[in-house]
Amino acid sequence: MMALFSSIEQNPLSVWVRESPSLLAFPFILWLHTLGLVMLAGTNVGLAVWLLARRTVPSFDLAGVYRVMWLGFGINAVSGLTLLAAYPAKALTNWVFFVKLAMVAAALWALQRTKDEIAVADGSGAREVTLRARRLALLSLVLWAGTIFAGRLLAYTHHILLASEGF
Amino acid sequence: MDAFIDWIVSTRLSWFVTEYRWVWPIAESVHFCGMTMLVGTVGLFDLRVLGLAKGISPATLHATLRWGLVGFAASIITGVMFISGAPDQYFYNNAFKLKVVLLVLMGANAALFYRREFAGIRTLGPHDDAQRSAKIVAAASLVFLVGVTLCGRMITFFRPPY
Repeated sequence: MMALFSSIEQNPLSVWVRESPSLLAFPFILWLHTLGLVMLAGTNVGLAVWLLARRTVPSFDLAGVYRVMWLGFGINAVSGLTLLAAYPAKALTNWVFFVKLAMVAAALWALQRTKDEIAVADGSGAREVTLRARRLALLSLVLWAGTIFAGRLLAYTHHILLASEGF
Repeated sequence: MDAFIDWIVSTRLSWFVTEYRWVWPIAESVHFCGMTMLVGTVGLFDLRVLGLAKGISPATLHATLRWGLVGFAASIITGVMFISGAPDQYFYNNAFKLKVVLLVLMGANAALFYRREFAGIRTLGPHDDAQRSAKIVAAASLVFLVGVTLCGRMITFFRPPY
């Protein structure tokens, strides 16, 4: 496994991201990851907080809001894979990373289920916010907080930085 | 400045932040959660003013901003903790200086919103369009929010050497 991580680390893109002094390398990609987080998790948090304060939900441009979140997810996925390519051993030998991935997957599931719960058919006016919708909103808040904690703690809990440096 | 930094590092807060190994990582996590709450609630409100999520009246989204303020307070408290732990790493850091400038501009933009635009926004119906001037203020708010996150992320890369 370490040989595989080492070969990924030697990839020209990985080397550039890790070693380039340019602000467009590691710093910019890290910022993109943060931008994706606030677009996805931030908007989801805003939606969840709004939902928890409502008794009914009106028919609104749900697709537009979800587009922002999915765009954020796309930015996060691309920037996350790039960061992973730069330091594969650092992430993939740390169980906290897998906790983070599991929480992201669960948060995305909750996001989609929420959409099903609050989507209002055209012309039907408004829909009651169900207990299930409230639970999903609360779950989203917990999962994004957990994702952020796991993401930050990655920097402090890894045991290996680079496989190619003989860890 | 050096005397001020010396005073900061002599405080009990500075001792607390640097003495315990897990204080800084947990404070960072709380800082990010707070920022996400702020950007999420304010950002969603700004997007509605700009015309997204029509069907929701801006006034109901505005009610969620109190949670954004809770997040902002958490970010300010943890931010003060970071500064108390390593003041020289912030006071001599251009990314941090720009972040503070953007935070001040964000506050001024919010003040402008409440002074000039809020009265009109709170009466908007679920499908109404906001005035152009309110949209400009909302767009500026989004730019400042993104700018603050960018500068916050760049602080690490502009730290002066220890």
